[in-house]
Amino acid sequence: MPQSQSSQRAVVRSVTLSVSLLLTLASAVMVRAGDDLPAREERAMTKAVAHVAPSVVSIETVGGAERVEGMLVGSAPTTGLVVSADGYIVSSAFNFAQAPTSILVAIGDGRRFPARLVATDRSRMLVLLKIESDVPLAVPVAVPESELRVGQWAVAVGRTFEGGHANISVGIISALGRIWGKAVQTDAKISPANYGGPLIDLRGRVVGVLVPLAPDRTGEMAGVDWYDSGIGFAIPLEHIRKILPRLEQGKDLNPGLMGVTFAGSDIYDELPTLSGARPNSPAREAGLRKGDRIVAVDGHKVERLAQLYREIQAHYAGETIKLSIERGKESIERTLTLASKIDPYRRPTLGILPTRAASSELAAADKAKQPSGVGVRWVEPKGPAELAGVQAGDRILAIEGQAVADRQALADRVADSKIGSKVKLDVLRGDKKLVLDVELAEMTGEVPEQLPAAPAAPKAPEEERPPVGLVELEDAGMSKGILYVPENYDPAVAHGLLVWLHSGDGLDREKLLAEWRPWCAEHDCLLLAPQAALANQWTPPDVERVARAIERVRDTYTLDEWRVAACGTGSGGALAYALAFGEEHPLAAVAAIHARMPKEPTAQEPEQRLSFFVVSDKDPATQPSVKQLRAAKYPLVTRQADAGKPLDAKTLEALRRWLDALDRI
Amino acid sequence: MNDLPRKCIALVGLLVAFGACDHLSLAAQAPNASFAGVIERTRPKIVKIYGAGGYRGLESYQSGFLISPEGHVLTVWSYVLDSDVITVTLDDGRKFEAKLLAADPRLELAVLKVEAQGLPAFDLGQSVEASEGMRVLAFSNLFGVATGDEPVSVQHGSVAACTKLEARRGTYETPYKGPVFVLDAMTNNPGAAGGALTDRDGRLLGMLGKELRNSLTNIWLNYAIPTREMATTVEEIRAGRFVAQRAAPDAPKPAHPLTLDLLGIVVVPEVLDRTPPFIDEVRIGSPAAEAGLKPDDLIVFVGERLVPTSKALRDELERIDRIDRVKLTVTRGQDLIEVTLTASDAEN
Repeated sequence: MPQSQSSQRAVVRSVTLSVSLLLTLASAVMVRAGDDLPAREERAMTKAVAHVAPSVVSIETVGGAERVEGMLVGSAPTTGLVVSADGYIVSSAFNFAQAPTSILVAIGDGRRFPARLVATDRSRMLVLLKIESDVPLAVPVAVPESELRVGQWAVAVGRTFEGGHANISVGIISALGRIWGKAVQTDAKISPANYGGPLIDLRGRVVGVLVPLAPDRTGEMAGVDWYDSGIGFAIPLEHIRKILPRLEQGKDLNPGLMGVTFAGSDIYDELPTLSGARPNSPAREAGLRKGDRIVAVDGHKVERLAQLYREIQAHYAGETIKLSIERGKESIERTLTLASKIDPYRRPTLGILPTRAASSELAAADKAKQPSGVGVRWVEPKGPAELAGVQAGDRILAIEGQAVADRQALADRVADSKIGSKVKLDVLRGDKKLVLDVELAEMTGEVPEQLPAAPAAPKAPEEERPPVGLVELEDAGMSKGILYVPENYDPAVAHGLLVWLHSGDGLDREKLLAEWRPWCAEHDCLLLAPQAALANQWTPPDVERVARAIERVRDTYTLDEWRVAACGTGSGGALAYALAFGEEHPLAAVAAIHARMPKEPTAQEPEQRLSFFVVSDKDPATQPSVKQLRAAKYPLVTRQADAGKPLDAKTLEALRRWLDALDRI
Repeated sequence: MNDLPRKCIALVGLLVAFGACDHLSLAAQAPNASFAGVIERTRPKIVKIYGAGGYRGLESYQSGFLISPEGHVLTVWSYVLDSDVITVTLDDGRKFEAKLLAADPRLELAVLKVEAQGLPAFDLGQSVEASEGMRVLAFSNLFGVATGDEPVSVQHGSVAACTKLEARRGTYETPYKGPVFVLDAMTNNPGAAGGALTDRDGRLLGMLGKELRNSLTNIWLNYAIPTREMATTVEEIRAGRFVAQRAAPDAPKPAHPLTLDLLGIVVVPEVLDRTPPFIDEVRIGSPAAEAGLKPDDLIVFVGERLVPTSKALRDELERIDRIDRVKLTVTRGQDLIEVTLTASDAEN
């Protein structure tokens, strides 16, 4: 009985408890029902903003450039976010594009402090500032990235309007992992009014720091054109926390480069199969080479080029990654440390010109199982070969103990060596064999003072050979162009090709032939002179047309690929540059006379010979094209000459000697 | 036996709790319904205004709203109203030729009158204040998309900032210098000027302004002028007492302004447009020397105004009378130093 009583009491207690619980629930519901969701959301947002506001600072700058990347930059106040109590502040690199003289930070309570720029993250476009505050600053809480959901409320906070209050913009999280996995996307209105400020959730925790970004470009101004468009980006605060120790030490963070090249342009379709590893690059040092297919980065599988790109973008220069590679049937692993920049390739040289042999001569030597080697036509005065004792008339039989069958084998070996390194040459002089040590130098492409004629094999014109003399180009697109093939043309001898791209005055056949016909005949060179499709002005569609014309000549005649050069004046020179830096690489040399470079030079590759002869009317050193070619370390010769006049005799002679020395090793 | 009632009660409790949840989810769906109601009540108060323009990219229309049942319409003062015939189209499609009662170019507002009675209207006396984060509705005929009896467009957004337009000289090129509500929705587009900004309950907060670009950042500003700033003027216009004043871009400059010379400061030569005002020399015995200013100090503020360039510094001093005290803030290395000084008597 007592037992039953106590049980009864328990029941009563439990009923009371349940009823009171119900009452609480009901009253809560009643309060909420009288108050709509927008009101509650509005209160939550205001509270969230108030929560983070002490960590949101206003930044003013003094001085600096007026224009950045051609855009006028404002000196309006911008926003920053406190990331440590002792005064570290993160902001958007956009806000510092003009490299200000002085930076002032006003913290939440309005007090101002001078700030210094500690470091920049050029991958995520952030800067770290430091102020010396006497009181600890309010550090915000980060939302763990794993908690973020597309569709949740997100409020962008800035501090840029007069009065010092935080300004806000309400939106949602639109996407995660944008810009190659680097950013959270929001539809809140993101602009200079809040770049550098936080994107927060409804609890006042920070999702990330707002920055302008673009998927296809980098730089402080990239993505600014999307301001207030409903597409805005924030770099997760969790990520910023991770890189903070490095930034605090004053280390700038840069995007990481492997130095690999890929064929094709559709990164969403292309397999990550290397078309090459750039010289001086981490990839080259790790032993990656053409044909290698990258299948995983740090264990993350990659199937397409875009996935590889995303994996690499997650890292900074200086970080080490592990690559899983398929090479033929082999599976290999390589680790490499990403670089912030890759020094351009500089071409090593022996400082010789090889003799030009007819293919029949080479075939005969091959038949006799004799090492044909490479004959030396000329040695560069004070060049590496001459300093080592190589003489004109010698034959180079081997390099580093390996027999050289032809000039290509010798050139490949030289191209793969380091400038300043010594290579051992086996040289045949008369019937004496010599071993000479040559210290490789950098190829400058400078024009020889004088050159001996290149004695080609005796001409034995066969009955069956393609048309010689003046050949009309039947190609519809090239209807007005001409091709001159020397009358002594021998298909067994590899000929040079000079592609003449006329100036704005148009193509004057008679004048051109009078100037170049004898020279071409003497130097085993064909002359191709197409005519611009549109009046006398070369236009972009001509690039393709001229490339096709060169291809047709190549199909019909025996060409020396090392001596295929285009010489153009004005827009003709621009066309020559465009051909040289195009996908197909139809040229080994470009002579550009008073011409602008229409696009950035591509990086120099060891396998691809390309050298330049630039004529300008002003000091060549001041010309943008010369600066760019120098920066890319291409073999380059410059001359100064008056524009609007035919080339003077001296410059023309230099041009001809340069053309005759294109096959240097 | 004893277990049974306990289970039952628990079950009942659970059921009630579920019921409550149900109720809650109903409440969660309500905002659309409540917005819909507010919008339905508010839209009839908005009018479409047609006048001059229609060439060289200038639209010949704008928005306005009724502020009295007798047909008083508040709108922005613009070239659209500079026409012999101003047409006002009400929400129900009725068209009226409107009379321009008066305009205040300083506030960029105008009051029109149409001959009608018993119209739905805002009461300017009943307006409310906005605050940052407040969710708002903007009613306007942006881009002239609504015609005839088609209702005007409604946009939803939040108040981004409550600020002032005049604060930084030259930032905004507009005759109106005063408080504004900055919005985070793209409200200020062609034709939207003169529209109404309300809170979630349809209470008037302000009038949408013209398109305006921040000359420092080059970004467009979306904003409304608070009702309280306009109420007195509108009242005077309606009472026929209003006397228009010319727009005064800035306070008049003093006849004898302060100069760097009077303070004893020489700044570094202006080699660039943006040369920052670094002090090159402080003359011995000058007010600047007495205040402790030194060469290489960078002057960053005059009073509360940032002076990012030497030119900005000179412009700012021109607005100060030489008999007044001036507060200068300079950076010296990592320190921010404030000094107060007055021009020397000798040169006064």
